[in-house]
Amino acid sequence: MNAKETLIRNRWRYISFVVGFFLFVAPFALFTRAVYLIVGNTAEPTLHSVCFRMPIDWIFGGRFYSIFGSSWFMAAFVFGVIISSIFLGAAFCGWLCPVGAVSEAISRAVPIPNKFRLRIRDTKLTMSMRYGFLVGFIAVAALVGYKLASDQLGSICCRYCASSVLQNFASALFGDLSAIEYWQSGAIISLLFWLVIGGLFMSGGRGWCLFFCPLGAFSGLAHKLGARLGFYRIEHKPESCNGCNKCQDVCPMWAIKEDHNIERTLCVNCKECVHACDAYKLIRGRKIADS
Amino acid sequence: MKTKYILGFVLVMAITLSLGAYSATLGKSELVHFWVAVPAGNVTAPMVLRGAGPPISMSPIVIDLQSRGVLKNLLQPQLEGLSTHWIYNLGKKPVKVKLNLANVPPDIAVDWEVNSGFEFDAATHTFKTPLYPGGSVPNLGIDWVFHIPAYYMDEPVIYDGGLEVIDADTGAVLTFIPIKFVNGAASSSATQGGSCH
Repeated sequence: MNAKETLIRNRWRYISFVVGFFLFVAPFALFTRAVYLIVGNTAEPTLHSVCFRMPIDWIFGGRFYSIFGSSWFMAAFVFGVIISSIFLGAAFCGWLCPVGAVSEAISRAVPIPNKFRLRIRDTKLTMSMRYGFLVGFIAVAALVGYKLASDQLGSICCRYCASSVLQNFASALFGDLSAIEYWQSGAIISLLFWLVIGGLFMSGGRGWCLFFCPLGAFSGLAHKLGARLGFYRIEHKPESCNGCNKCQDVCPMWAIKEDHNIERTLCVNCKECVHACDAYKLIRGRKIADS
Repeated sequence: MKTKYILGFVLVMAITLSLGAYSATLGKSELVHFWVAVPAGNVTAPMVLRGAGPPISMSPIVIDLQSRGVLKNLLQPQLEGLSTHWIYNLGKKPVKVKLNLANVPPDIAVDWEVNSGFEFDAATHTFKTPLYPGGSVPNLGIDWVFHIPAYYMDEPVIYDGGLEVIDADTGAVLTFIPIKFVNGAASSSATQGGSCH
């Protein structure tokens, strides 16, 4: 499938990416701005206002009070995304998340030959690595939060933050050049992994989402649960499959198994496989699979 | 379960823990985050201030520029930052908070990047809304970015000043947190104070 064809077939998702940018990234941050307006918060909203990591860090670090404090909105957003993934799949990741959208877009826009791009075809290995990160993330949150190793470990939430890097670039793009003035080592590492290694040199451009996003990992688990319960999901129909593996090539999340079934913990319901092949069907509403 | 899956799991978990360990070292030397409470007086040693709100830990901040990460020292050595998300009033009366960085040499420019749930006067560095006892400035983010001229980079002590938290109505300094930028082995004290969340 050439680039033009890809663009047309996935137009709604790409439009949704742009909408996601306007909803969450300053200077627009329309979603956050609307909530702030309703609750009378005069702070200037940014992508940080809906941090994808901190509420998870608070929970596992024992800082439950933070969830109900002035950052309640952040927590409500993160838990909303996870719970919605039960019913809609990881739709936020696949359709709205500006961090994943930008790295995926850059990956598609920069024509690097596939032989220079990493892709793990074994979904179990990708999953092992994804949840290795999640367990590590939870361990760091707990060890720091409960002061079991707070001298040896620091939180990885803010220090390695792709959202912050994206927000800084966006602010600079819209005139505030001071936003990209200061770089700490963690931000440089995040930039390298999010856009260069995870974006340009990983097939699909979703390396950050796959291996360094706790919200994505939890959303994947929620989607797996939701799919088991029969909610919104993509199903593979083996009788329509000719084994061309096109689905594996187009899936940005490396979620297509060797037998062409979908690994739910990785799938973000982007529908790239549905558009590429008739063997994939979207199941809306609550419907238990035949097999 | 195949060995490669266990290896993949353990490898990424180890990388994540290593990033946590690296974060701990970076947190003491790059964009150090610290808590602020009033009225604490002169914070000459690590202390926990108790009062109307939650207990707040504060200490003098010493940043060793040589302890920063390799990437930072390589790519952007002349810029260093400080940050706070937390200003609390643990006293008994409302305070209109004014901030001042004391003793900044005229050739070190400092950018103030402030986002706050209280209106902030950028010219006077004053929050226009009083901070009530037990309260904190909501949704606060202040970054101070220091532009250090190249000729300072070999000095043993680059900046020796601090953050003054002032009652804007009376001009009284309620809290003073000493801040020092030093240069590695040339300094006598190790990096201390501050944390990143």
